[in-house]
Amino acid sequence: MRTTAAKALLMVPVLLYTVFSAGPYVWTAMMSLRTTDEIYRNHYGLPIPPHFWKFYTAWTEFGYATYFKNSAIVTVTAVAIITVVGAMAGYGFARRRFAFRFREPLFLLLFLSIMFPPQIMILSLFQILIKYGLFNTLAGLILVYVATELPVTIYLLRAFFAQIPVELEEAARIDGCTDWSMFWRVMFPIARPAVATTMILNFIYFWNEFLYAVVFITKQEIRTLPLAIQFLVSDQYFDIGMLATGLMIATLPVLVMYLFMSEWFVKGMTAGAVKG
Amino acid sequence: MSIRRKSFPTAGEITFAPRAGRPWGSILLFLGPALCFYFAFIIYPVLVTFYNSLHTLRMDLGMTYEYVGLQHFKEVLFEDEVFWRSARNAMTWAVVAPCLDIPLALVLAFTLHSKIPLARAFRTVWFTPLLMSYPVVGVIWLWVYNYDWGMANLTLRFLGLGDYAQAWLASPTTALPALILVTTWMFAGFNMVVMLAAIHAIPMEYLEAARVDGAGPWRRLCHIIIPLLRPTIVNLIILDVIGKMKQFALVWVMTRGGPMWGTETVATYVIKRAFEWKTLDLGYPSAIAVLWFVIIFGLSVGLTRFLQRREALEF
Repeated sequence: MRTTAAKALLMVPVLLYTVFSAGPYVWTAMMSLRTTDEIYRNHYGLPIPPHFWKFYTAWTEFGYATYFKNSAIVTVTAVAIITVVGAMAGYGFARRRFAFRFREPLFLLLFLSIMFPPQIMILSLFQILIKYGLFNTLAGLILVYVATELPVTIYLLRAFFAQIPVELEEAARIDGCTDWSMFWRVMFPIARPAVATTMILNFIYFWNEFLYAVVFITKQEIRTLPLAIQFLVSDQYFDIGMLATGLMIATLPVLVMYLFMSEWFVKGMTAGAVKG
Repeated sequence: MSIRRKSFPTAGEITFAPRAGRPWGSILLFLGPALCFYFAFIIYPVLVTFYNSLHTLRMDLGMTYEYVGLQHFKEVLFEDEVFWRSARNAMTWAVVAPCLDIPLALVLAFTLHSKIPLARAFRTVWFTPLLMSYPVVGVIWLWVYNYDWGMANLTLRFLGLGDYAQAWLASPTTALPALILVTTWMFAGFNMVVMLAAIHAIPMEYLEAARVDGAGPWRRLCHIIIPLLRPTIVNLIILDVIGKMKQFALVWVMTRGGPMWGTETVATYVIKRAFEWKTLDLGYPSAIAVLWFVIIFGLSVGLTRFLQRREALEF
């Protein structure tokens, strides 16, 4: 009896926090299905009837198709590159077989650079990208994204590869496998859970990244979604309804995936907690 | 004997053989691409920034360099009031945010741990804000803080505190606290999830033993759970402090550093000095970046040493 009462009491702060946590987003979601006129009449009305056509309009008339495509290109390419490069390096740093004189100091440096503030690189990267014709291109942005997330990716994957017993690969090597084919046929498949974790972490980071995009992209047609939203806020400040629809377009891919694989997402994001 | 060894190499020989000569081909193959990325896009730019901080770079004259020594640093430290203002804002953020995020997350983690119904659903909802980009969060909270119809003032008016309703982002005194609350909204759920995982990792026997010895829930919390969570909490604090000192995006979208430098952070100031003020000099902002880099780096090493007391940085 007493515990039931105590639990009921506990629910009060829990529900209050849930309102605080979910309230702003739910409110935005409702506005995304209402027209701006409806919103100005009552900001907190329910979306009855829901105007799903607004998503179509945002997509075709307000450029979200382009921005979404840009974000998708950048995110997918960068995740693919960083997964391959990062997994190989994580493995290379994990095995004693590949040790050489400066490997451990190199790894320490890599680990420390997880803490680097982006400002220490961004101005000279701007210079470098201009010099090599990569400024204002998605390719330049992708290269920078891969480099900035490599340290944490390598750090996480190295820890995982180091746990896999060496005997496994020795068996494969006796069977005549080279290091290369052994890595892709034996080690990489074993490391799939860890690889998936880093893929999710990097996917969310790339999809949401803003600072590098602000500095390296100035052409409208190659803006990514976060960048586009920043401009749309000032351009259509009063068209709240359409802006809310845009916000949903920018977040729904991540949220829908999160809904279906929340355990993986939580694992991926908290694994990145090493990032300081 | 010798014939046998030729046809059937022993295990000792197999493990010894690669060590005779390092597999440089494989080393290059596995580490090469990552190190290329790393040196080209991280180490080299960092060195260039250090170099630039000693020069004046005229963007309008085709990036001509002029050596000025420590001139920029002197100016930043002794003459630049905006720098000090932005450093103070960033520091305030870095100190206040963990004081909000961490205790709140601790309380939330304990409530979820005490087996309330729908705990998983609550966890899923509370974690969600972290999955959105800063521009999205920024726009949503611009609406929340709207004077006429924002949720913040609406709630105050509903509670009969309508006198306190105000334009939160328009005054230098309230703008920074308003932004800090937004990061708390984003990160409390994340910190909660990390702590909850750490609580679940505590062996049940400890808590059982304490209960048998007559320790109530409160004492179990203070004397067992919190001490065992210490490394996790320390890690989250460091993460929070460093993260807030780098804060850029939220400010850029919501206030642009205003009003009256009230929310300017060092990160936004560097970008403004480089690209918005028409000084067309990349050297001076580089000097700010170098200073801030040294401070952040020193702080994270110092904090780790001070708080962790040789406990391994674990995750």
